[in-house]
Amino acid sequence: MKILKTALATLLVGFALAGHAATIEMEVNGLVCAFCAQGIEKKLRAFPATSDVVVSLEERLVAVSTKDGQDISDEELRRALTDAGYTVVGIRRETESIDAVRDRLKEASH
Amino acid sequence: MLTLIRAPSGACAVLALLCAAPDAGAKPIAFANGTTVMAEYGAGTMLEGQAFYASTYWLSSGGGYVRFNSDINPVNREIAYLRVNYLAKRWNLPSAQANIFVWGGLGSAAGNTFDGTRLARNVGAQFDYETRRVYMSAKSDLWDCSEFSQRVDTMQFGFAPYAHDYSTLATWFVIQARNYTGQIRHGVEWAALVRLFKGGAWIDAGVTADGKPQVMAMFNF
Repeated sequence: MKILKTALATLLVGFALAGHAATIEMEVNGLVCAFCAQGIEKKLRAFPATSDVVVSLEERLVAVSTKDGQDISDEELRRALTDAGYTVVGIRRETESIDAVRDRLKEASH
Repeated sequence: MLTLIRAPSGACAVLALLCAAPDAGAKPIAFANGTTVMAEYGAGTMLEGQAFYASTYWLSSGGGYVRFNSDINPVNREIAYLRVNYLAKRWNLPSAQANIFVWGGLGSAAGNTFDGTRLARNVGAQFDYETRRVYMSAKSDLWDCSEFSQRVDTMQFGFAPYAHDYSTLATWFVIQARNYTGQIRHGVEWAALVRLFKGGAWIDAGVTADGKPQVMAMFNF
């Protein structure tokens, strides 16, 4: 019985972690200059759970990755960008790593 | 989709008494929890330095120094001031942003046409619209004290030869028209500027129509 409980708990934790996206991408309005990007990056890096941030003016995209086992809720992200002076029009959670997002954006800009 | 953000109206009242000074097209508030340091040499007519800290994206405060040298007669005026900047309205569009800023402050004015110092009052406002390829701004600044009253009105139109991104150098070509009142200068002063910025560093450099240099540098961190 104890083994069964342990296995179940392990499975649940595994599913929970698998549910965390590797990267959270936000579509943002008003993102037109480097100062905008700088302010947003500063705001998002202030979250203890943040591991990396990518901002693309071209794609109007802000991507944030979180540390292992940690998360930032959509509500917190939306509030952070609103507090920075910008408007979030969409949030999606992707399995793609933030490095892959960075590479994709680099390729798109060439 | 057009998105409007209205800054809280409570801070408006703080501004009514305070004053400001012009800069060369930059926004008076860069970003929340950010410090902005700026210096401008305006064709020998105006020299200015400023430092502001923004506690939110819609409010910053700080101080500066501005000196005006008249092109008309041997008059100079200088003002050291404290200032509050307020973002009254922001429009966040998908690929553009527009803002209305107002500011105000109080300062200590001195000059070579009077002895001692006078209390100076100032109010100003700026509208700007920006995409990654087009920039325009209109700004008006009023300085007033018992010895003089003067206004500096500045319009800028800029275009970028390419759309920059966060990690790339932004290059802009800017045409500026500036008008000084209060016996500082007759007629509109035209200038052509090259604007470069990357990360938190920004520089404008160019010349006026009568060949005088204009330079502005700004750092946000």
